[in-house]
Amino acid sequence: MVDLPKKKVGLIACSGEELACGTLSRIAVRQVLESQRPGDTVTLCLPLFLTGNEQERAFARFYPTIAVDGCDKQCAKRATEKYSAKVAGEVVVDKLLAEQGIAVDPAWRHTPGPAGIQASHVVSEAIASQVDQILGKDGILRLTESPAQPAAEPEPERATCSCGSGIPISEIQIAGAMVSVLALEPLLEMVHGQLPPGEDGLGPKLLAAVKIYNTVPAEAERDYEQALVREYRKRYSGEGA
Amino acid sequence: MPKKSRVLIVPCSGMGKALGSVGREAAYQVVEELRPDVSDTVCLSLLTMGDPEAQELVRTCPTITIDGCAKACAFKNVQSTGVEPAADFQVADTFREHRDLKVRQVIDVGEPGRELARHVADKVAQAVDGIIGAGD
Repeated sequence: MVDLPKKKVGLIACSGEELACGTLSRIAVRQVLESQRPGDTVTLCLPLFLTGNEQERAFARFYPTIAVDGCDKQCAKRATEKYSAKVAGEVVVDKLLAEQGIAVDPAWRHTPGPAGIQASHVVSEAIASQVDQILGKDGILRLTESPAQPAAEPEPERATCSCGSGIPISEIQIAGAMVSVLALEPLLEMVHGQLPPGEDGLGPKLLAAVKIYNTVPAEAERDYEQALVREYRKRYSGEGA
Repeated sequence: MPKKSRVLIVPCSGMGKALGSVGREAAYQVVEELRPDVSDTVCLSLLTMGDPEAQELVRTCPTITIDGCAKACAFKNVQSTGVEPAADFQVADTFREHRDLKVRQVIDVGEPGRELARHVADKVAQAVDGIIGAGD
């Protein structure tokens, strides 16, 4: 049974300790994780991301990630893009609230109270809206999304933290260079489980699966296909594949 | 020896586990309630991302870290700036002494969580006193 993660959106909050909007960033992210989009989102502590190893820093390469920052210094966005990948979306809490005409009380840093919680809902709505856009749930087909989504079992609705989960990374040779591929093993296993006898369309199927969690340059698709077929056959050649 | 007039309290603010929120709550209890005149906090991510003002602050003020889990991200992130924290606390250590205090959730740690945070904050405040006193 393939334990392939469902495509989710990663949320990284700055959690800035000095500012009320830092507190709102973490509350809003948790609201999205726990109540608004529990099956579609996952988070990682920003400090863990900053001290983490390659697996933790693969977070934004694995999940399209929204950075939620308290102020315009945008530490969450800058850290994500410095160590992992370009963010798929961003929310700057103080700017968003100013646009909505909501005055921020500095006391919310420690004690948000009803007014602070109300403000955090404005932020979480903005995050949830971006989650829907990224996942194509707003009725608009995103061209960056692969049409071949992995079949996912319905999951219980719960907030997810990827802390310690470790995103599997494999290194394979593609066109003479070693390239990191996210989730290669479960993706190969998934294709193996779905493939009808005779391997018809093996290369395109492998490529489509790998593109769910990896960015494949258009000009390198043929090289990726060849490498993926090679890796597939290494594992399954004994089964007549 | 010059008097150390201000101590920085830096929690990890972990998002995934409620003990990260307890660490954050403990930091606020120290800087706003227990030792408001001699302690302050700084954004951990701002510090780690190399903000010059934040880095200058940790170079000139002794720093105490509070971590929610054994990964000790606050401690390691402060260390990564070239500064050795003057003290570090793990919320889990205090939780082991008060297992009856069940923290509610990440967003709102609840009354038991705030009480657990107070136990952590008391330890941190004592450490602040020790650091400030050492400068007298």
